Amino acid sequence: MSVSADDLATLLEALHRNAIALAATGPRPPRRVRVGVGEATVELEWDDAVAVVPATPAPAPVAAVVADPIEVAEVAAAAPAGHVVTAPTVGTFYRAPEPGAAPFVSEGDVVAAGQQIGIVEAMKLMIPVEATQGGRVEEIVCADATPVEFGAPLLVLSAVTAAAG
Amino acid sequence: MHTVLIANRGEIALRVLRTCRELGLRTVAVYSTADAHSAVVLEADEAVCIGPGPARRSYNHIPAVIEAARMTGADAVHPGYGFLSENPDFAEVCAAEGITFVGPPPHVMERLGDKATARAMMVEAGLPLLPGSTDAVDDPVRARELADSVGYPVIIKAVAGGGGRGMSVVHDSAAFADTYRRTRAGAAAAFGDGRVYVERYLESARHVEIQILCDTHGNGVHLGARDCSVQRRHQKLVEESPAPGLPRDVQDRMGEQAVAALLAVGYTGAGTVEFLVDSDGAHHFMEVNCRLQVEHPVTEMVTGLDLVAEQLRVAMGERLGFGQADVRLDGVAVECRINAEDPDRDFAPTPATVGTAHWPGGPFVRVDTHVDAGYRVPPDYDSLLAKIVTWGPDRATALRRMDRALTETRLEGPRLATTAGFLRGVLAEPDFRLGRHDTALLERMRSRTAEPATQRSD
Repeated sequence: MSVSADDLATLLEALHRNAIALAATGPRPPRRVRVGVGEATVELEWDDAVAVVPATPAPAPVAAVVADPIEVAEVAAAAPAGHVVTAPTVGTFYRAPEPGAAPFVSEGDVVAAGQQIGIVEAMKLMIPVEATQGGRVEEIVCADATPVEFGAPLLVLSAVTAAAG
Repeated sequence: MHTVLIANRGEIALRVLRTCRELGLRTVAVYSTADAHSAVVLEADEAVCIGPGPARRSYNHIPAVIEAARMTGADAVHPGYGFLSENPDFAEVCAAEGITFVGPPPHVMERLGDKATARAMMVEAGLPLLPGSTDAVDDPVRARELADSVGYPVIIKAVAGGGGRGMSVVHDSAAFADTYRRTRAGAAAAFGDGRVYVERYLESARHVEIQILCDTHGNGVHLGARDCSVQRRHQKLVEESPAPGLPRDVQDRMGEQAVAALLAVGYTGAGTVEFLVDSDGAHHFMEVNCRLQVEHPVTEMVTGLDLVAEQLRVAMGERLGFGQADVRLDGVAVECRINAEDPDRDFAPTPATVGTAHWPGGPFVRVDTHVDAGYRVPPDYDSLLAKIVTWGPDRATALRRMDRALTETRLEGPRLATTAGFLRGVLAEPDFRLGRHDTALLERMRSRTAEPATQRSD
């Protein structure tokens, strides 16, 4: 299955931002950072030695690129599993068509390419988010009513291997 | 005001950030995926990705910028120059959202942004105009009659144009109808507004502009003149303050007229009134720029004022802390624009990776840039890499320092060409040296070198 260069670039950006946000969660800069693409990977390693490297300038707090580093950590862990659907614009992500309604999709659902999986609201404009390919919803990584940046990961799809009938 | 969202990119985003930081304001950078690793993103207190590379989906996309402001709690937006800086709709949306837009009121911006309306407003306010229409001319027959009565050459300009785009020069009546049609079609395509106006074209003129600053309490000052006559295709390459060869009392008179005109139309914040000065020394109103200009640093260097800080203070509702009598112009400042463009290929942009980036330093040199080694020049935006500004107690010293600074500047990379070397050639031109140059300088330089120029900037 071919992935367009745009998709790769978007994914790479998302991974990069996740890596930066993850790096900021550690007690000090990580020893090793690996950012992948394709079968998405973000890996960070910290020394578990107790001695803090001397003479390291106290890093200015890394810009709070992502509001919630915990959430990002989950994304990063899930990322290798499959295809990530990302926010088409900056705004607020909603899982359901209106408050109280059933969500568009839940974990375990099988979706078709082009099927709506959520909404990003930007200035009262409701922008539908569609699955960029078919698959099973492996994980919904962005909670309902959460502010998102352009390109932020929303959910992860895995390929459905067996014929779904 | 506690948090400023900087709705721009490149050198100007960083320049605005620096002043915000000095004033103790929190900063939010917004960026496209093409700028994810840019200097301002790293420097800002917070950064939000607002879209992909193309500006219409990121830097020019009003909902994205507003959402980013909401997400980060920004209570002010500084638009820089270009992008949304002169977009009255954006200024209005900011106001509706309770966000302070750092710039003039939307209705003033809207009227001055329409160049035909601006002409009518400024003639009303007492500024001298070149002969031509004070309104858009929509009828080709009437337009040609007008051009015939004004006398050739004339220039046809889009009322919605800007940045040197949307204008054509016509040298005789026979060519008018065709050029008129093409300019209208081009303007409709580029700006979504095909209306044009006609005025006398000066083959040999100087581009002189006045920096204005007005508060929201009816006070205004002018901060001297800038000469921006070194242009190619109506885009500026070298700017300086004060304007050389133009008597100080003339510059003062232009300043007084300009500030009175902007106060009369309810202008607030920093703005620029552009004039053409003809070979007899008479000045003619051209347009108003409702924003910070690229070349504002030369004014900062001769006045000692931080124009971004002044903009922010005005936006906070403060009164100007000084009057006209307190404005002192000291020495001469010159700015050279280092663009990723190839002077040997008609200034074609060279989107490439900057391998080596060595910027000048030393006494009285200021470099406003977002570029360092490894920087990839995105193809999506303008090609400005840096502004090098030098100051001297007199023009000769400022120019010597500029030549020295350009010599120190080293930008290298495969397929990368810049204007740095070419600009040294401009500085060496006798007309420029003597301050006798006009807007035709580069054209004359080019016609003299029949062969491809030998200077390569890389």
